[in-house]
Amino acid sequence: MIAQRVGLAAMRGVAKPNGLFVAQNLPKLALAARLPAQQFRAAATTSKVNLTPAEGQDILAKQRLARPISPHLGIYKLSQVWFSSSAWTRITGCVLSGTAYAYFATYLVAPLVGFHVESASLAAGLASLPFLVKGLLKFTLLAFPFSYHFVNGVRHLVFDIGKGYTKPQIRRAEQFAWSASILAGLFLAFGL
Amino acid sequence: MASFARPSMLRQTAMASRCAAISSVATRAAIARPAVVAAFHTSSKRPAFLPPGPLNDPAFVPEANSAHGSYHWATERLLAASLVPLTIAPFAAGSLNPFTDAILCGAVLLHSHMGFQQVVTDYIPKRGWPRLHKAFWWALNLATVTVGVGLYEFETNDVGVTEAIKRVWKA
Amino acid sequence: MSALRTSSSRVLGASFGARAAMLPTRAAFTRSMATVSETPAEPEPRLKTFQIYRWNPDTPSEKPRMQSYTIDLNKTGPMILDAIIRIKNEQDPTLTFRRSCREGICGSCAMNINGQNTLACLCRIPAESSADVKIYPLPHTYVVKDLVPDLTYFYKQYKSIKPYLQRDTPAEDGKEYRQSKEDRKKLDGLYECILCACCSTSCPSYWWNSEEYLGPAILLQSYRWLADSRDERTAERKLNLENNMSLYRCHTILNCTKACPKGLNPGKAIANIKLAMNSS
Repeated sequence: MIAQRVGLAAMRGVAKPNGLFVAQNLPKLALAARLPAQQFRAAATTSKVNLTPAEGQDILAKQRLARPISPHLGIYKLSQVWFSSSAWTRITGCVLSGTAYAYFATYLVAPLVGFHVESASLAAGLASLPFLVKGLLKFTLLAFPFSYHFVNGVRHLVFDIGKGYTKPQIRRAEQFAWSASILAGLFLAFGL
Repeated sequence: MASFARPSMLRQTAMASRCAAISSVATRAAIARPAVVAAFHTSSKRPAFLPPGPLNDPAFVPEANSAHGSYHWATERLLAASLVPLTIAPFAAGSLNPFTDAILCGAVLLHSHMGFQQVVTDYIPKRGWPRLHKAFWWALNLATVTVGVGLYEFETNDVGVTEAIKRVWKA
Repeated sequence: MSALRTSSSRVLGASFGARAAMLPTRAAFTRSMATVSETPAEPEPRLKTFQIYRWNPDTPSEKPRMQSYTIDLNKTGPMILDAIIRIKNEQDPTLTFRRSCREGICGSCAMNINGQNTLACLCRIPAESSADVKIYPLPHTYVVKDLVPDLTYFYKQYKSIKPYLQRDTPAEDGKEYRQSKEDRKKLDGLYECILCACCSTSCPSYWWNSEEYLGPAILLQSYRWLADSRDERTAERKLNLENNMSLYRCHTILNCTKACPKGLNPGKAIANIKLAMNSS
């Protein structure tokens, strides 16, 4: 009731009627007459009714060129994009393999350029570093990537035989993988 | 009377009059300016990808090749599974065996290579960047061969991978 | 009653006519009418702000933006869809989104709500937290307008897996293709898929390679026909997946399983396809 009255009052303000009956009917008529005319069309659409498939494709092509791609990495749940265990399995794998590739490629060319990267000199160099630096170096380059990649690698192998797909199982396995690999990495880097 | 004066109707009349004012300006602006495509956390590459063929046709189905499909997948998994004992055994047993060392190195190298290949296929797809894809693909092949030779050198001239990791770790 | 209404509206019209058009709130009127209709005092409004992604194809040069709408949850249904319908009805008729059944069976209102793809009609408004609700269209899709994504290619991909029974031999009794209870059971958790695209557009692999990778929704459908004991083109269906893109871009990220608003398990279905591919 109240809402109706507000509406009516507003219409009156718009329509400026002379009498009551006109006031009741005019807005309705005005709406019917005006609304369709107000819906302006985009430049890309046409008023033609029967389009051939090719014409339809053409219009779509033009429209698509102007369309934005909806946001993805920036808005999706952090735990499923930036901290997803699958992504980190790949990241840690790349760090591990990248380190190995860099080292063995360097080892191959070391004699030519006069580097000393033999295991003995590497061990000696590492031994001269303070405990914390040594541990952090081992943790970031090898220990954590290895433990994470190992634990999640096994987890993915279990997935690949079709097991462990219920939501609670996934959640528990993810929590386990993160905590186990961080602990194992810390132990490997600082404990051994 | 009850039906036509709903609040939503009111707003539509109000909107309609507002739109009437805006629309002429907006359409003129759209015609005058070339359409600059909007950016809102979008990916850097905008392929303006158009589905090929008429809209109601099914999507393209690539040619079948088991070497890129199921065999490849199975090889990857078997290799990964075999790495589980291979990485643990030498350190757990504490034995120095050049033979297991060589197998471990070979398996890790192959595993790394296949992993990097997946990364290239995912992020630099042939479809979008054919040349860059090819460049990365061959750079990866070259890197793997180099590293393979480096590993051979290391195994023959140095103490072997397992022993080296042990020594560096205990340093 | 009609006379009463007319007279009261006349009174109102006389006294508020000019002001009514300008006053945006209805609170003033509620208060002024309280003496007449004696409505009980309204409960404390529970205001909630919704930030909604807006982009208008009529002004393509304008950047997409987030627009805020605040509504009173006391006057709104419990679901996100109720809220956005209310916003469209009462605050901004230009807000555009798809919706149809409002009960999770049509899959039209799939959108990204607070960072998770789901159906707006099955997603409760988080009333306990005071944080704004953020609503985006399905991630990494072409935006047609506001919350409406272009799913043309998604449907083309669906068509490419031939989602229908393919058979050459006629039924034994000449009437219907029979199936054991066990075989029928294999289709549970597969046939319920409504193709809302929540899972496919939650998958990073599908974001980067949607032109070639089929995505979880289509692969789940693909498995629905691979698992069907009545279908006779299993080998051909498998052959269509034998390449490195269509199926094997799946890296078991499992965002699909986490996203599915129907509680299905596309991740498991894809794992089953992978196993089936190697066991022929």
